[in-house]
Amino acid sequence: MLNLIQTEFMKLRRKNFIFLMMLSSLLMPLLAVFYFGAAKKADITPMQFYKWSAYSYTPWIILPVVLGILGTMLLYDENQNDMLKQLWIIPISKLEYFLSKFFIVFLYSVLFMMITAVCSMLAGILPGTIPFTADSVSYLFLKCLEIGALAPFAMLPVLAVAASQKGYILPICVTLVYTFLGFILLMVNMYVHPLSSMTAITIKDMPGVVMKQPVDLKSAFLCIGIWGVASIICADVTLKKRQ
Amino acid sequence: MKTLLWAERMKLRRSKIIWIALFSAVMVSVIVYMQGQFLFQGHRYVDEAGWFMTAAQSLGSIYVLPAIIALMGSYMICREEQDDTMKSLRLIPVKPSSLVGAKLVLAAFMSVLLYAFLFIITFSTEVVLHFSLLKAATILNFLKIYLLQGICLFLAMSPIIAIVAVLKKGYWIALIFAEVYSFAGLFVGMQNTARFIYPVTAAFCVSGYYESTLPQLLTSILSLFICVCLSLLILDRLNKKYNS
Repeated sequence: MLNLIQTEFMKLRRKNFIFLMMLSSLLMPLLAVFYFGAAKKADITPMQFYKWSAYSYTPWIILPVVLGILGTMLLYDENQNDMLKQLWIIPISKLEYFLSKFFIVFLYSVLFMMITAVCSMLAGILPGTIPFTADSVSYLFLKCLEIGALAPFAMLPVLAVAASQKGYILPICVTLVYTFLGFILLMVNMYVHPLSSMTAITIKDMPGVVMKQPVDLKSAFLCIGIWGVASIICADVTLKKRQ
Repeated sequence: MKTLLWAERMKLRRSKIIWIALFSAVMVSVIVYMQGQFLFQGHRYVDEAGWFMTAAQSLGSIYVLPAIIALMGSYMICREEQDDTMKSLRLIPVKPSSLVGAKLVLAAFMSVLLYAFLFIITFSTEVVLHFSLLKAATILNFLKIYLLQGICLFLAMSPIIAIVAVLKKGYWIALIFAEVYSFAGLFVGMQNTARFIYPVTAAFCVSGYYESTLPQLLTSILSLFICVCLSLLILDRLNKKYNS
């Protein structure tokens, strides 16, 4: 398994686009600068600023889309270059192959959110919009780490779809629809869709967020867990069938 | 050009992309309908006549459909390189700019088709939900908004599709860019002046979703025209690249 992960890292060195995709983590911090700059409010709290720059649309829309495209790219490129046959000849376990890809997505997600955290902090503090407080900054980094760690698990169904397909069109469309569905279901039912459940977990203890009903952590983790396990099993089965 | 368009149409028949795009439109409708079940001041959103048609068009045009349009356009262009058929096409010979031009025309048609399909779904749902409340003028206005949104959104996305033709394997980054570009429209739409300039929100203005004065409408048309010029410039560069 460790060898597979190491190989995945070596393959990443040839994919410059993956690093360019990281630029999308700057979008919400930049928008927050313009939004709060135009508002000219004197009493903007760090929590208000970070809610805009890191806790809202980044985990709801941007990060899932980026992770979906990354997962599809990792799995599709191997199919396109006809490398998969050689990997099966070695042989390597289908499950380990899938999990090595997931591990890359996981690390990328954590790194993406850490960059978002750093940029949010700089975007708020450097123009003087918010004061630097150790509490808010440590909370920001912990929350971003939490989002970065949970998002790949919530995106496992998309990764499973990408593993089951030879092309990239369906997984990309599924990524877009899946993300949109997760975003809309936030307001309807949080425990059906893994992305909505991820949001439920991350906003549970967030100051200033008022929920209609108290967040049920068990249901949220159960939702992510069921979808995740089902996705891993489906990916394993479809990869074995394709062989 | 006619032959190229015919050939592109025949190629698309073998591809699943049309069905996948139509499936996305169905899913957008289903998801927006689910959102319509949300209660606001004791009433469901979907109970209001016309809400579903408005919400499906606006939400779909911000979150899902622009990326789908960019995906369709970039797929049609990139598949020649991926399937290694570009060499054969060059031997015929086919002018690369004409080839990409034909693909763009077909992608524009597909974009309108996608919106027409979305209109059919939302209109049928509205007929089932509030038949007695629907007026012919309102429906025709929605039809105009949907079809214009289809073509205008394609024009707004055309520079991204054209960039894909220049960049090798650039469709991944183009997809991310398309999503970020359309998503940023959500925030630009809040600004009174910028919404008429930013291409994605300018498409909303030209289609009639946003109420606008004549100068604002002309600004939006100019913004989309600049997008088209930018695409043509990029395609011209592609032509020179192939010729050299």
